[in-house]
Amino acid sequence: MIELTDIHKSFGSKHVLRGVNLTVPTGTSTVIIGGSGTGKSVTLKCILGLVTPDQGEVRINGAPMTDDGREAFLERFGMLFQGAALFDSLPIWQNVAFRLLRGNLKRPKAEAREIAIEKLRRVGLTPDVANLFPAELSGGMQKRVGLARAIATDPQVIFFDEPTTGLDPIMAGVINDLIREIVTEMGATAMTITHDMSSVRAISDNVAMLHEGVIKWTGPIADLDQSGDPYVDQFIHGRATGPIAAVR
Amino acid sequence: MAVARTLGGIGRVTLGSMASIGRAALFMIRAVAAIFTPPFYVREFWHALLTIGYFSLPVVGLTALFTGAALALQIYAGGSRFQAESVVPSIVAIGMVRELGPVLGGLMVAARVASSVAAEIGTMKVTEQIDALVTLSTDPMRYLTAPRVLAATLTVPVLVAVGDIIGIFGGYLVGTGKLGFNASTYLQNTVTYLEFWDVGSGLVKGAVFGFLIALTGCYYGMNSGRGAQGVGRATKSAVVAASVLILAANYVLTEVFFAA
Repeated sequence: MIELTDIHKSFGSKHVLRGVNLTVPTGTSTVIIGGSGTGKSVTLKCILGLVTPDQGEVRINGAPMTDDGREAFLERFGMLFQGAALFDSLPIWQNVAFRLLRGNLKRPKAEAREIAIEKLRRVGLTPDVANLFPAELSGGMQKRVGLARAIATDPQVIFFDEPTTGLDPIMAGVINDLIREIVTEMGATAMTITHDMSSVRAISDNVAMLHEGVIKWTGPIADLDQSGDPYVDQFIHGRATGPIAAVR
Repeated sequence: MAVARTLGGIGRVTLGSMASIGRAALFMIRAVAAIFTPPFYVREFWHALLTIGYFSLPVVGLTALFTGAALALQIYAGGSRFQAESVVPSIVAIGMVRELGPVLGGLMVAARVASSVAAEIGTMKVTEQIDALVTLSTDPMRYLTAPRVLAATLTVPVLVAVGDIIGIFGGYLVGTGKLGFNASTYLQNTVTYLEFWDVGSGLVKGAVFGFLIALTGCYYGMNSGRGAQGVGRATKSAVVAASVLILAANYVLTEVFFAA
């Protein structure tokens, strides 16, 4: 279980997070929705320690996140970045098998390559892309490679940052199904940031609405349409008028 | 009021400068610690050796060749004013190995390596590749900085040594081909007046310059701003800072090695 308690984070005079409280139960898929610049990515980065909160606490399975705890957490963690964040200097298979080629999870090279190709196949890519470099792939293919890398070591916790951005509707559907499958089959805990409402409905067990640095509403996906929250209603229906200002 | 504003401005600039120096010093300490503590990324180290060392050979070699040749002409022209043309071989050799080889070689490597390292790491930062490394349980200091800093510290002295030889050869070509020196006399004078510490001090300078070049490139890359402009600014700052640091370190080292 991931728990965020009263997380605050400012960058200079800009207060991005103003007291985020959120609980992500183990083995569930939680999606954070919210407008651009509301602090969704910063929230994920606070959990990972990429950004240090000014105030508040992150707890993993009840224990506060320390440096040692973070290392252990990252060992069983995978993440799909918004822009895929593939390493330009490495061929695709080595990107996917990055963790399997070094560190505690190191495997023989041939085995690591085999696993990488299997994961590539799982995200709908053929083995012939394995030896290409990221720059030789389209944005959508890079995204799928990023997903293959995120699931390469069968992690228990996976974060997805805008998983369907830049993908065509069919591939977005494939990725949504895959995320759902990973959470269901592997029992992984997933946290996703997205603006894509079809993705929200396809992959989430729970939804949290982040606005102006605080969680405005949280609840199961089944309750999303009847949330009664004006922020959620405006966001999920994409209305220009409502409590969320169109110009931010 | 104006005085208070001026003093306030000076204070802000001073505090800002101190904070920058502190950040750079902490980065250096972390980089050095990363070199000596596991995990070690051997593949990245070999790759850095190749890109920083081997691929810098042409630019360092050409710089040294033309510098040695020009130096021979200058010393001959200057020496002829007081009938000291015979000092050309020894002064070319001493000048190359003590000063021009390390400094010009260092500056050329700074232009080539500090810029590429800052741009590469800066691009990795703005495209979230550095964040991705962290999520893959890989410390960017160990994976990106340590191999580059170690490789540059080890290879720049080698580049300086090669540059010294090529520079002396440039002087030899001009001395024997244009200035009328006897080939064997030129070589004999080159070797006779050259002392071990002349060469050794240049190599030590090379190691220090290599360390500063890679460290500066990594520091500015890791602290790059957002977007293409941020990477461009980081790259420019890395080259300028590395060049100035090389010249400043050269003075300090020369003072330490040769001051009476």
